[in-house]
Amino acid sequence: MPDLEVKKVTVRYKEKIAIKDASFEANSGEIVGFIGADGSGKSSLMHAIAGVKKFEGEILFKGHIYHNPKEAERIKQHIGLMPQGIGLVLYPLLTVKEHLDFFTAIRNLKKDDEYLQYRERLLKMVGLFEFQNRQAGHLSGGMQQKLSLICTLIHKPKLLILDEPTTGVDPVSRRELWQIIDEIRKKDNIIALISTGYMQEAERMDKILLFENGQIIAKGTAEELKELVKNYVYLETECKEECFSFAKRTYSLKPLNVPHADPELEAVFFINALKKYKNIPEINVEEREIKIEIPEVVMEAIGLTKRFNNFIANDHIDMVLKRGEILGLLGANGAGKTTFIKMLLGLHPIDEGQLILLGKKIESYKDRLELKSKIGYVSQKFALYKDMTIRENLIYFANMHQIPMSKALKKIDKLADGLGFKEYMDYLPTELPLGINQRFSVAVAILHEPVILFLDEPTSGVDAIARAQLWKLLHQLKQKWGISILITTHYMSEAEYCDRVVVLKQGKKIIDDTPQNLYQKFPDAKNFEDIFIKFHEEKN
Amino acid sequence: MNTGIIKAYILKEITELFRSKFIIMVYLLPTMIILLFGYGIRLEVTHSRTVILDYDKSKLSKDLISKFEHSKYFDTKVSNTTEDNILNEIKKGKVDVFIIIPENFEKRILKGQKTEIGVFVDSSLPMRGTIMQGYVEGEILNAAQDYIKNIPIRNLITINNRNLFNQSMRDENAIVPGLIGIILFVAPAILSALLIVKEKETGTIFNFYSSPVGKFDFLISKLSVPFFLHSINIFILFLWATYLFQVPFRGNFFIYWITSEIYILISLSIGLFISIITRTQIVALIATVIVTILPGFLYSGIIMPISSMTGSAYIEAHLFPVMYFNHIIYDSFLIGQGFSSEKNVIYFGILIFYAFALLTLGTLFMKKEMR
Repeated sequence: MPDLEVKKVTVRYKEKIAIKDASFEANSGEIVGFIGADGSGKSSLMHAIAGVKKFEGEILFKGHIYHNPKEAERIKQHIGLMPQGIGLVLYPLLTVKEHLDFFTAIRNLKKDDEYLQYRERLLKMVGLFEFQNRQAGHLSGGMQQKLSLICTLIHKPKLLILDEPTTGVDPVSRRELWQIIDEIRKKDNIIALISTGYMQEAERMDKILLFENGQIIAKGTAEELKELVKNYVYLETECKEECFSFAKRTYSLKPLNVPHADPELEAVFFINALKKYKNIPEINVEEREIKIEIPEVVMEAIGLTKRFNNFIANDHIDMVLKRGEILGLLGANGAGKTTFIKMLLGLHPIDEGQLILLGKKIESYKDRLELKSKIGYVSQKFALYKDMTIRENLIYFANMHQIPMSKALKKIDKLADGLGFKEYMDYLPTELPLGINQRFSVAVAILHEPVILFLDEPTSGVDAIARAQLWKLLHQLKQKWGISILITTHYMSEAEYCDRVVVLKQGKKIIDDTPQNLYQKFPDAKNFEDIFIKFHEEKN
Repeated sequence: MNTGIIKAYILKEITELFRSKFIIMVYLLPTMIILLFGYGIRLEVTHSRTVILDYDKSKLSKDLISKFEHSKYFDTKVSNTTEDNILNEIKKGKVDVFIIIPENFEKRILKGQKTEIGVFVDSSLPMRGTIMQGYVEGEILNAAQDYIKNIPIRNLITINNRNLFNQSMRDENAIVPGLIGIILFVAPAILSALLIVKEKETGTIFNFYSSPVGKFDFLISKLSVPFFLHSINIFILFLWATYLFQVPFRGNFFIYWITSEIYILISLSIGLFISIITRTQIVALIATVIVTILPGFLYSGIIMPISSMTGSAYIEAHLFPVMYFNHIIYDSFLIGQGFSSEKNVIYFGILIFYAFALLTLGTLFMKKEMR
């Protein structure tokens, strides 16, 4: 009998079903990976298993059966839950030591020699031994996640549930977190359920559950899952029906006359969508209506600096954005990506340095006014009005840009068609998946046909297909409109789709190069994540 | 009950309160309210701007005018303009009281004939108007009595008025004890609501949900922090009332103290209820303030006696615990009957019932799971 058995678990939030009939099994010593987009039901299933959320169905853990949080109370001493969000379970004003004391007390642990040794080992393992008197609020994102992890591990749980422990954490800390989890699981023989948005991390898991729209669509090891879809993956080619091309590969249900390519885990999502909808709508952007002259360099930042009290968010950053270039701004949470974009947009005043936009030196608010019509911006949280339908939102923004009504309506229809959200025009943004909202936010930002487009974390939490479609859209915009794009992301893998990447770390620029050059510099790197880690090692 | 868990939670809360400096608010807010409102609310009316038009210009009318001139309640001015002009001034809000002494005022009185004095009072605020009218009548009667004294035979009835319990008719005595009832209703509720909602908002509530910590242990530790911190305020407020505002204390201090502690429990459980239904600290704060301050003021009996309320207001006043607490507190400060009065004992019992019922209900409604 397996140690953990989840049988037909359904979780509801009011009328909405978060996850339906989820079943799986796991044994001690296994890492089970939950993979899927935001809102696909990963967290809800974790909450049900951890006994913090009402559910339907049955869960069996080491002989204990439970159907609701009350019955789960008996096994809570064996469970360690780390919910989603950086430093979510931490108290910013308490020190590292006080955190461990607090978690020890609420878990009712005896402070004997064995405990003290274990505690010291945990602290040393995550590198917090020297920082025991530092308040949690003063730790970096990666450190906070490590502290959360050891607070969750202090009572030696038999069932460890980690909800996106690595999201937004820099690659070095991420690798360390994985090493810790791996060590603990082998030593203490525990079951670990871990959700992640990074496909690369799936390789480290013993078993993978793929989530989509509140259902588990596939189970197995990474190899098994890839095996399932191997026959549908080809090298990139032209195709017409029941197929989808992205990142040098074509996914097709019908056999094609080209060699097969090595599948990646994303392929499972693409193939699943193809099977379900037959066709994934192609993105198609029309030519610019008004041709305009664009200067060679559209944006130049020289020594841009932003301080918040004593904290330096951006430290003398130089950056150039050329005509028709996609520039990826990469970095972990808190590296200063958003602050930089906000300075470019004038949402934060510039403390030091010079900014030249479209050949014009920006010195005052007035300088920006004329440029507003040439810049488009998609913010991290998608600045849409929740009480207006998609159509009403688009019309409102068209009015703001003073586009004549008749022209605006035509344009909105064209964009809705080309960007594939035509059938959702009369829904409210809150009723739609993140991927649709994201594309429609881009539509809002390009209504007035800007020359520069800034996107702040448009892909975080979005499912694989929507992400692929967004990148296709950006490449088309670049080709057809000659638009320059500055995009921030914490997915290092997305660096591959950019023409050039800038990596920020703690407010400083550490890399500024093309992906090709970087691969040449580090020939044995498998992906961009490796490059970042190697770069980091080289520096130290 | 697990003392280890409770101790850890209390230590955590206290550490956070001190490091976030919120502790200052815990002690500043009650003191600020008692100072601001204690000095700010005045029920008596002084320095009403008064204009007297004297058509008589006799000795008697001069005497009457000088009575007004020497009263702290009136800032008197004798005018020579027309009645219309002065009535206009009242309209503009520049004059509060206008008195007309008619011609032949003295002559008619000496002859024993009836005479009339014209009095106009700005009653746009009815309470103020009534109070000023009362003062004017009193002043005139007073003058008449002085006059009658000279005629011994007619001096048959004099009014001997005594104000009980607040002999000096001081506003402080009437207001400050009531303020204690408002403060101890508002402040503990805010703190207890915030302590729980803060964990919900930041997500640290998961530490409670996902650990074996029991619901009772969690609630005991969350509620005992505001309970103990605000217990100190019972003494601080007492000192402000007796030393700064010089309110007499005639009752039993033990009764004052124990009633206040029970009253704090009621306030805490209101905070607990609010923390169950709200998710963010700002909403919890606003909800607590609305739920506590408004009834705290309206049904406290400070502004309006509850016996003069009618219909639903009367019922509402009896639903909120403020009224029962205030009754005992006013008794402790001004009267001093304590538990020898049956009403006080009943009200004390009602307060204990409220505390018990609300805490039990709050504990039942609180769930150890996400909603």
